[in-house]
Parts: sequence; structure tokens; C-alpha cells
Amino acid sequence: MSMANTTKLNVTYGDVTLGVSGDHFRYIFAYDRGGLESLVRYGKEWLYRTPMLAFWRATTDNDRGNGFSQQSAMWLGADCFTHCTQVTVAVDGQSIPLPIAPENNRYSDHETADTVAVTFTYTTPTVPATTVTVSYLVDVTGKLSVAVHYRGAAGLPELPALGLRFVLPTAASGFDYQGLSGETYPDRMAGGKSGTYHVTGLPVTPYLVPQECGMHMANDWVTVTRAHTLNNADPDHQPFGITLQKHDAPFAFSCLPYTPLELENATHQEELPAPRRTVLTIYGAVRGVGGIDSWGADVEPQYHIAGDQDHDFQFEIAGLA
Amino acid sequence: MQADLTWLDDPQTFRINQLPAHSDHRGYATVAEAQAKQSSLVQSLDGNWDFQFAADPQHRPVGFYQPDYDRSNFDQLTVPGHIELAGYGQIQYINTAYPWEGKHYRRPAYSMGADQPARGMFSKGPENTVGAYVKRFTLQPALQNQRVSIEFDGVEQAMYLWLNGHFIGYAEDSFSRSEFDLTRYLQPGENLLAVEVFKHSTAAFLEDQDMFRFSGIFRSVRLVAKPALHLEDLTIRPTVDVGLTTGTLNLQLQLSAAQQLAGTAVITLQDAAGQPLWTTERAVADMLTATTTISHVHLWQHHDSYLYHLQICLHNAAGDLVEVIPYPVGFRRLEIKDKVIMLNGQRLILNGVNRHEWDAHRGRAVTMADMHHDLEIFADNHVNAVRTCHYPDQPVWYDLCDQHGIYMMAENNLETHGTWQKMGAVEPSYNVPGDLPQWQLAVLDRAKSNYEMFKNHPAILFWSLGNESYAGEDIVAMDAYYHHVDPTRLTHYEGVFQNRAYADRISDVESRMYNPPREIEKYLQDSPAKPFLDCEYMHDMGNSLGGMASYTDLIDRYPMYQGGFIWDFIDQALWVKDEVTGQPVLRYGGDFDDRHSDYEFSGDGLLFADRTPKPALQEVRYEYGQHD
Repeated sequence: MSMANTTKLNVTYGDVTLGVSGDHFRYIFAYDRGGLESLVRYGKEWLYRTPMLAFWRATTDNDRGNGFSQQSAMWLGADCFTHCTQVTVAVDGQSIPLPIAPENNRYSDHETADTVAVTFTYTTPTVPATTVTVSYLVDVTGKLSVAVHYRGAAGLPELPALGLRFVLPTAASGFDYQGLSGETYPDRMAGGKSGTYHVTGLPVTPYLVPQECGMHMANDWVTVTRAHTLNNADPDHQPFGITLQKHDAPFAFSCLPYTPLELENATHQEELPAPRRTVLTIYGAVRGVGGIDSWGADVEPQYHIAGDQDHDFQFEIAGLA
Repeated sequence: MQADLTWLDDPQTFRINQLPAHSDHRGYATVAEAQAKQSSLVQSLDGNWDFQFAADPQHRPVGFYQPDYDRSNFDQLTVPGHIELAGYGQIQYINTAYPWEGKHYRRPAYSMGADQPARGMFSKGPENTVGAYVKRFTLQPALQNQRVSIEFDGVEQAMYLWLNGHFIGYAEDSFSRSEFDLTRYLQPGENLLAVEVFKHSTAAFLEDQDMFRFSGIFRSVRLVAKPALHLEDLTIRPTVDVGLTTGTLNLQLQLSAAQQLAGTAVITLQDAAGQPLWTTERAVADMLTATTTISHVHLWQHHDSYLYHLQICLHNAAGDLVEVIPYPVGFRRLEIKDKVIMLNGQRLILNGVNRHEWDAHRGRAVTMADMHHDLEIFADNHVNAVRTCHYPDQPVWYDLCDQHGIYMMAENNLETHGTWQKMGAVEPSYNVPGDLPQWQLAVLDRAKSNYEMFKNHPAILFWSLGNESYAGEDIVAMDAYYHHVDPTRLTHYEGVFQNRAYADRISDVESRMYNPPREIEKYLQDSPAKPFLDCEYMHDMGNSLGGMASYTDLIDRYPMYQGGFIWDFIDQALWVKDEVTGQPVLRYGGDFDDRHSDYEFSGDGLLFADRTPKPALQEVRYEYGQHD
């Protein structure tokens, strides 16, 4: 991709979406869906639905025992029903009026740019409500720099999690990452050994009652590999991947076949549905799991996620350069 | 004597015609047998037994033990195993409340007054399932014309025994070996052994462990021949001087003879390489003692579980060898010095786990393969100690811990959680054993069985009086018993934390469970009277074990903090066939329509129930590796 430095992004100012494309990639930001609707690379779609904010984790036995899920129950609603309330667009670093009709009548079929940034503001259905912004900055290599800002609000309970959840259309064949061995949490990561690891498939840790699992702390990057798409015209089954990488600080992620809600609903492993998709969540904050006891002891305070304070995190979806 | 069903109701009747508990040594006919650990004097009765199940005592097959009883409708059941896992009787998991919660109102005999014996509670109790077991056997040649006893390593919870229609005896205490003399009623050719097992007796109040509630003959059964001369009991008392260089070995042998106590006992001690260090010869007598010293003794400890070999050969008056008894001997010095537990002159640090016996296919009838697997997990993760929660384990586990240098907290079969803690609150209004004289002998017998059976194992550092049974004069008596019989080990009991009035009379250590690190610090900073350990901590239920570093930090900061035992080693769940897919799946409490239940609370292990590690295990490996 040596042409990257001289190539510009193609920008499509649609009535419902903003299309941004380059060599071997095309992204669609949907105003109506309130998020990044399509992320296609080398002809392969990476998104099933728009990425949404992750506020919930499937209740752990300790969460149940100490009442954390009750105290923070409104984040379950927020995880399901947070909606987009504002979209802003910036091209080459300059904010522009939201380019929907008739505003977009002034564009053509050959618009270009060096960078395009789209920022979605989400409002939570919590009491009190708060907002979270998710900004995507696309450069000419197709790199997506993602920045999430959570605005703390007095009175909001502690967060079970704070992340951005990508649901991929099909189940991954596996993932590779550079981080710590095994399943780690902020209060259980001393035993994780740094290294590069491959995980085959999308294993769900088989706790007796399905619950939050599969967290990986302190990663430099993760590459998810799939071999199938939902595209009826795509008979190719060769593996293809996407890499998410740290921006300026390591990130946490989990890569599972289920959403927290699916895990939450099951009382046994065998009740979980057939794995169909990949739920890749990048976390800016992870609550510890605790362990002093399972009937009341809280997670140690330094491993909580305050609801009344701001939180920011960034990561990148690697470009194709 | 005839069997009496009302023994089930009487806490003062818990052993009838049982032989006294004694050390777990094994006799062999020859030295070669001893070296191969294959005794011709032993005949296993494991395998298929005839079996009939009854839902309650009223529907049991009365008189089934008679030789002429028509047992043509009996099924077959494998021993060892749990009745419930064979499809008879409902599987139930429950934690603190008694298994009859919500179904039967019960108060332990005498707990509401000396005039309230609660007669008929179990002998006429509904849902007190009964297993009628029958085994036919013919003595193997080496056992014929000898004195023969029968050993039951575990029968839950109460058993009556008959041989050839004659009543032999009665036993409670599910997790201690019960032994009976069969000699008088043995006959040439085929013999008919019958065991009637009741799911509940007054022992139920003492066995309220947080676990699946089973019944049946769940550990091995064997016949054991006693040759003309037989070592009945062996006390090995190895001690080490203050300078940790000279070991003194004191032996006490109790012998019996079929006819006349005559002959010689040849006692030898070899080092681990087989080099003889000491031999002595004594004329046999009821009681023999022998003493020797070992200069530059090689100490036993976790990373160097050095074992000397003791061998006792009994020869009859004609000089023929009739019985050989091997036993490993470990020398170590355990003491409390400046309020710190010291082992071989070093501060003891417990990287421990609580280990229920569990196999997801077999319940508590664990196999040698399970035990070896568990020891590998210990070795891989710097685990150096195990608490036998909350009952004595299969005897071979103690041998393995000697060999692998695993420090043991050897716990009695005692938990009465449901009599003093209700919905989390301390409410001891009908606690047993408490101060009740009617319950004291039963708990003392459990202490005695535990001590006598396992007293020669160097791995055991602590005698644990039981788990979560509150505190009172009966527990005091148990503590006093252990101190009386064994000055070389420490007593442990956490329950006194709930009743501080007994703090001076129970437990050599301050033991707590699930205390947050800051609470432990408070104790350690406030003129602590005893060294501290966590008998249970880091409750690894589901996705847990966060914050372990805060406990590791205490080790570095407080010499009197001596580590603890993680709760616990392996999830308790059972493989069953999924009723929808037919696939094997792991099920837990409540999955068998069992109510009242504590559901998934049995899943607290570092291992999943299938013995694969939980992700948290790598954290244990790291934290325990800090002080290994």
C-alpha cells in the first residue's frame, strides 16, 4: 500500500449514511442506526450491527452474592437501550454541518478527504441520564481511531463494565493477541504471563452458571480471524482477519460468541444458544471479580468503576497500510 | 445381641461391637508382599452386591439378612458408590440447612431439654431411605482359619451388619473406618454378609457438610485376616531435637495372638535408600515399646519429603514369620515459637487448599487416578497444604500426602452448621454438640477415630476438630483429647471465633474464614494471642479469586500470619445426560428437583468438576509461588 500517502479517502455523502472508502476498505456510518454500520475490508463485512456501548457484564456469582447487580441494575437497561442522540461529522479536521439532504446536495460523486471523523453521542436510559461519545477517525490507510468518552454523573451507580461492543456477523475461527495468558481481571492478573497467544474458536469459560468470562487485560493488539461471511455471493472460506491495537495504552478485550444478556439468561452452559456470531468487546474499564467471599464481600475498591466520574479510552482498528 | 432400629434416634449410640480404632498400618504375610504392597491377608469385597432400596424404614425388607430370606427381587449395585448416583433416592445439594428443611420439623435429641430425646425421629422418619446390601463371599485360602475382621472405609450415615444371619454390629460416622470382628460367625464355604444402610440417624446432625447429600457404602470394603500374631496398633512418635540434628523414634506396638502371645518382634529402620540404621528384637507381649535415635536425621518437609522405612516382622515361637508391617517414618519438628508456627525451625507458610473428595461421575467415591491428578495440580501450582474438609479422606490420601510432602490439616467428620447459623445469622439456640453431655461421646469418638487411624502420618500438622459447629464444652473436650494423646501436633478449630468465651480452651491457632485482609490485620495488630491462619479464604465460586495479592501481602508483613487454605479445590457438580440433547452435561444443586437447595453454591473450585483448571488457577500459581 505504498500509494497510501498519496491516496485520498473517497467520501459518499448519502442521505442516510456517510460512506468512506479507500483501497480495499469501505466503511458506512449510519445516521439512522446511530453508529458504524458497515466495516468492509477486502470485500468482507465485519459488522453485524452497529457497535454499541457495553455497560453490563453477565452477573458473576460474586456479583450476585454481594448485590452488585441489584445496585447497578440500571446499567443492564443501559446496555440494552442506550440510543444515539447526536451525530457530528468532521472532514479533514473541520466540523461540517450534518451532511443530510438537502445539506448534502452540494456534494458530488467524487468527493475526497484525508481524514473523516464521525462522532456519535449516546444517551443512557439511566436515572440520571448521562452521555457517552464514540468518535471514529478514518485515515487514508483505513485505520479507524476510536475514542470513547463517558461523562460521569452524580448519582449513577458503579459500572459493571465500560466498553465498545462489536458483534461480528459470523463466529470467529479464533483470535490471536499480545497480552497476558489466560482469563484475567484487574484484581486477578498477576499470574498472567506476557506473551503472544492464539485461542482457537470462541471458548466460553464453563462456569457452572454462565457468567462474565473471557476477559483479557493489558493487550497491545488482538487479531480476530474468521473464515465465513453471511454474503451469499461469497463462497470463499479462506481465513481473514482484523486487528485492533492499542492507541497509547494497552486495552482489555473479550472475544466470545455471546452477549452478556445471552450469558445472563442461562443457568447452565448447555442452555447457551448455538454460537453464531462473534462478540468482540474492547473495554476501557473493567471491574474486578472479587473473591474474599461470594455472599457479600465487595470487590476491593481500587477495582471498581465509578459511575460519577469521567472515563476515556481509545484504541485503533488497524489500517491496511 | 439384636439390632435395634432406635439406635438411629439416640446420639449416645453410635458404635456397637466395633473394634477400637487403630493405626492404618497393613499386615502382610511375607516381606515380598510388603514390598509389593499386595497383602494376601486382605480380601476385597468391592464389586457387585445384591441390593434393595426402600424409601423409608417402614418399607425396608425386614429380615433380609437371614440366609433363607427370599432376595430374588434384589437388584445389583456396585460397591463402592452412592445409592443416589445409582438411580435410587433423590440427589440433593444443600449447604447449611439440614436436608429435610421445609419437609420435617426437627430438633436434635436433648437440644430442647434433657427430657426431650426425640425418639423415633429417624427410626420412624419419613424419607429416611434404606439400602439393604448383601454380599456372598468365600474366604480366600490365606484368610481361612484365621481371625478375620471386616473394614468399611466409608458408609453413609448409619449401618447395621450381619453375617450368616447373626447380628455383628452397628456404626455411624460416615467417613471413618468401621471395623468388626467376623471370626465367630464365619463358616466354611460361602458366607452371607448383609449391611443395612440408613441415610439418616442422629449422625445427620453432626454431618451437615456443605455438599451433595448421599448415602450408601461409598468407600471400599475388605476382609482382613489376622495371623497367629498380629499388630493391632502402632504408634510411631518421631521427634527432633532443638538443634534439628538428632531424631528420636519412639515406638509403641500393641499385639494380639490367635492363641498365645509368644514369639519375637523384629523391628528395623532403614533410610530412604534402604540402608539399615537400626534393628531390635523383642519378645512379643501385649504392648511393646522401642526407642532409637538417628544422628544427622534427614528431616521431612514439603520440598524434601524424606521418609525412613520402618518394618516390623512378627515371628511365632517356632521362628516362622507370620506378619510383616511396613510403615514410612518422617521426622519433622513442629512447634509454636514466639507465637509463630515453626516447622523444622522455619516459619510455616501454608499455601493450602480445602479439598472435598469429588469426582463428577462418582461423587465422593474418588479414585486413585483422581488423587494422583490432584497431587499433580498441587505440584504445578505451589500448593503445599490441604485441609481434609470436612471429614477424614480415604486412607490412601494420607499416604500420598506423606510421600509428596503435603502438609495436612486432618479434620474430623463434624459439621453442625444448621444448628447454630440460620440465614447467615448466629442463632445457636439448639446447637449440637454444644454443651450437651448426650452428644459429647459421639464427637469424642470421631476425634478418636481420626487420631488413632492417622496418628503416624508425618504429613499431618493439625488436628482439626471439625467445621462450623459453634463452640461449647463438647468441642473443648475434643481439643483436650487431642492435646492429651498427641503433644506433637497442633489443634485447629475456627468455630470458636463465633463464641469467644472458649478462645482459651479451643484451638492452638486463631483460625478464621473469609476474613477480609483488613480484618486480619486488625487481629494481627492488636496483641494477637495465637498465630493466625485462614482455614477458608478466596472463595472461588464461578469467576472469582480476585484480590488474592492482599493476602499474600500479609505474609510479608506479619510473621504470625501463616497463610491459609483456599476454598476450595474442585467444583462439586455431577455429569448427567441432558434430558433435551442427550449430551453429557454438568449439573448442580436444584437440577434434580431437589428442594430446599443451595444450587450452584457447590461450584467453588480451583478446578471445574471435570478436573480441568479454572482460569484463576494461574493466579494461585503466581501468588503461592511467592512463598514456596
